[in-house]
Amino acid sequence: MTAHIRNFSIIAHIDHGKSTLADRFIRLCDGLTEREMSEQVLDSMDIERERGITIKSQSVRLNYVADDGQTYQLNLIDTPGHVDFSYEVSRSLSACEGALLVVDAAQGVEAQSVANCYTAVEQGLEVVPVLNKIDLPAADPERVREEIENVIGIDASDALEVSAKTGVGVREVLEAIIRLIPPPGDHSSQPLRALIIDSWFDNYLGVVSLIRVVDGQVRKGDKIKVMSTGQVHQVDQLGVFTPKRRPAEQLNNGEVGYLVASVKDVHGAPVGDTLTLAKGGAEQPLPGFMLMQPRVFSGLFPVSADDYADLRDALEKLRLNDAALQFEPETSDALGFGFRCGFLGMLHLEIVQERLEREYDIDLITTAPTVIYELQLTDGEVIKLENPSAMPPVNKIAEIREPIITANILLPQEFVGAVITLCEQKRGRQIQMRYLGKQVSIVYALPMAEVVLDFFDRLKSVSRGYASFDYQFERYEAGPFVRVDILINGERVDALSLVVHRADAERRGREMAEKMRELIPRQMFDVAIQAAIGSHVIARSNVKALRKNVTAKCYGGDATRKRKLLEKQKEGKKRMKQVGRVEIPQEAFLAALNTSD
Amino acid sequence: MSAQGLTLQGMPPLALYVHLPWCVRKCPYCDFNSHPLHGELPAEAYVDALLADLDQQLPLVWGRVLHSIFFGGGTPSLFSGAQIERFLDGVRARMSLAPAAEITLEANPGTVEHDHFAAYRAAGVNRVSLGVQSFADAALQQLGRIHGGQEAITAIDRLRQAGFDNFNIDLMYGLPQQDVAAAVDDVQRALAFAPTHVSHYQLTLEPNTLFAHRPPPLPDEDIIASMQEACADHLQAAGLRQYEVSAWSQPQHECRHNLNYWRFGDYLAVGAGAHGKLTLPAEQAIVRYVRQPSPKRYLQAMQSGEWDQSRSCPDARTLVFEFFLNALRLRDGVDLALFQQRTGLAMNWLQQPLDEAQQRGLVWIDGDDLHITDLGWRFLNDLQAIFLPA
Repeated sequence: MTAHIRNFSIIAHIDHGKSTLADRFIRLCDGLTEREMSEQVLDSMDIERERGITIKSQSVRLNYVADDGQTYQLNLIDTPGHVDFSYEVSRSLSACEGALLVVDAAQGVEAQSVANCYTAVEQGLEVVPVLNKIDLPAADPERVREEIENVIGIDASDALEVSAKTGVGVREVLEAIIRLIPPPGDHSSQPLRALIIDSWFDNYLGVVSLIRVVDGQVRKGDKIKVMSTGQVHQVDQLGVFTPKRRPAEQLNNGEVGYLVASVKDVHGAPVGDTLTLAKGGAEQPLPGFMLMQPRVFSGLFPVSADDYADLRDALEKLRLNDAALQFEPETSDALGFGFRCGFLGMLHLEIVQERLEREYDIDLITTAPTVIYELQLTDGEVIKLENPSAMPPVNKIAEIREPIITANILLPQEFVGAVITLCEQKRGRQIQMRYLGKQVSIVYALPMAEVVLDFFDRLKSVSRGYASFDYQFERYEAGPFVRVDILINGERVDALSLVVHRADAERRGREMAEKMRELIPRQMFDVAIQAAIGSHVIARSNVKALRKNVTAKCYGGDATRKRKLLEKQKEGKKRMKQVGRVEIPQEAFLAALNTSD
Repeated sequence: MSAQGLTLQGMPPLALYVHLPWCVRKCPYCDFNSHPLHGELPAEAYVDALLADLDQQLPLVWGRVLHSIFFGGGTPSLFSGAQIERFLDGVRARMSLAPAAEITLEANPGTVEHDHFAAYRAAGVNRVSLGVQSFADAALQQLGRIHGGQEAITAIDRLRQAGFDNFNIDLMYGLPQQDVAAAVDDVQRALAFAPTHVSHYQLTLEPNTLFAHRPPPLPDEDIIASMQEACADHLQAAGLRQYEVSAWSQPQHECRHNLNYWRFGDYLAVGAGAHGKLTLPAEQAIVRYVRQPSPKRYLQAMQSGEWDQSRSCPDARTLVFEFFLNALRLRDGVDLALFQQRTGLAMNWLQQPLDEAQQRGLVWIDGDDLHITDLGWRFLNDLQAIFLPA
């Protein structure tokens, strides 16, 4: 019996009110009492709350008594709203039959929503447009309806007008979900097939998986098989989130819920995999997700070498529900043992870095992110270069190719000039420009390396926050690239090397040398900083030796104050990395990100 | 063996620190336990409390001789000669004072009159430490001091007229808007009075002070380093010798009370917020304690008996650190034999930190003598930090 089930996601740009709307749904369906309702319950990680974004999928089951008097089971599967996490979006969407497209009635459509909306349409979902923030004086529902039709190309004439903040129109949205989104097909008589939407590690339960039962049903005590590995586990716990965790005896086809099967090994429940019964199970797995390839690489090193094993464990746990995170051991002369990690984009990198530091309490040094370069060697071999310091000698390289992306930028007309200037500065090539009502859609081919650097921040700043963008990898393209090395007191610091366009090399070298001078604190001796291409020095700077410590008065019989001071200074030094005799602060390894233009 | 794992043989010298916590007003850089005076100074009641406090502690130091007494503050010169005398008489009645024991009183220009100095001297005070800080009016104002340059000069004159030939002048450098010439000028003016001792230290912005919240514009650290060097040249030329990080003296006029801290001797503490450290051979223990910092609560301790704010026996690692934190301040370096005597710890506690300090070129060791290199002397914080408990 699936007729009373609706599975849906919400597609929305950051700040367009997705979380507030979800909270309204939960309130309306008595998912939580007022007292239990802390703001935006779905964003459960600290980072998500602080940044106001959703990173990880979560689900909540709502029991809604509709106007027709019947009770419906609505499963809301939350989706992330940032371009780096479009992969997670497609995962969430694959567990749904429909999606709400929530658009800010004042701001209009943003590029990310467009991309996610296309994903939903491609996956055959029913998209229900909703205009939120209708209470704002600047709300212009007619214009935004037009925009939805022009930019995305779906019918928005019946788009619901809602204010998640005041509650206006929320009930109508739930009614529309029931009316417009189809129930899951009834496959109750078929053998169990359940899709793993997400898995995460719980210290008490081991691996917990969020699943969508597509065929058949799963019961507590069932022996289930992970289809890709053939591993068999017994189901210990089943249940749903309301959003509180509520145990259940079984999950039926069409339902979304969690499953615990005493999987202790973090690789035991891969996201996108299919679960079936160990005996009499299905033959064919469900279509999984396309695995996203990381596009940005960076070295993560523990500040203290003792934390290496902890860092590995933490990365493995994060990877459990973040399949796009890749890592492999890396050794740096300067930083010791660490991991070369692959990310979907800069935000993904920042989030992983923050989670490692906060949730796992590991002090990290992150090296400047780099894209993957494709190297054609003189002997005909083609290699991928994820780490500038691993670049082969110049005489062995026939050609270096950099990744090019296609960027789709949506912005209000008045910022067109500024945004085009920015794209040109970033070595971009215009592909297309279209006027869509008050918005303009610009398509540019841009080097990925420039996007990684600071494109997103710059785009926001030149458009006063109004431009939004989305991108896809396009191809590799050859160019004159060189490796710039940084030498400190004559020693090359491998973790600071970067690959740059020849035309930018001198400027970037100068900036790096200057930035390092600002970031490296004065020490007992002079610190000489050089930027070089091969043996050719292109820039130099110098951190003058400190002359002395402060000569403070003695505190009589009280040793505690001076101790506190010294401990604080020592703590500060612990967070630095010793390269040769020189202490280099963590931020210095990201200095390449700070460019002036 | 005590819980600290010490083997203590013999007793270090004993000193007495007396804290008089009130000031006319709180200076913005000061993080000592000082309290602005509102209304009448409860001087007599406070002297009673100090003596009662001392009574309390006598059983811990039976039979031991006091080598020095130091009245610190706050502004001890807010107390009259008669009040200081009543306290010192009380000490003499309770303990034996070494012949020629050093008895220092801190005074601020602006709070002492001529007859005060004479009265302190009559009471038995034989050394005065005068908190001049600077002779420049603008600088003094910035520091929130209640005196001007002229008052400082007058105070030193009166001090000498009262017969004090052993006195210290406190000077600060690295003051807001100060340049090298101004810092040297302060030193020269102080030297004109032929002081037996000069404390010359850098203004630091300490946590929980007004300056820490609203930092004044301080000179560049290289300029401050130049000030220190230029001032050192003048101090040296005047026949003073730097025997400690911020202390200069004529021969034989080192501050014995402070030397006792730096050589990890024992000290009794009386007064609000005073810190004491005692070796207790019967228990094979070294104990540290802090008296109630609030003057009000300290006065109430006469009734409540709650003298202590805290009391603890530092563990071995802390003792190692505290010994070197103090001893490394001395220009002549450290006698490593003293470490064993004073802490009761074996030398193997020092293996690792001494190796590191030598390897980094901060010290060199010759038998039991640890010498601080020029580098170590300039980067004393880095050297001391090596001894921090991990």
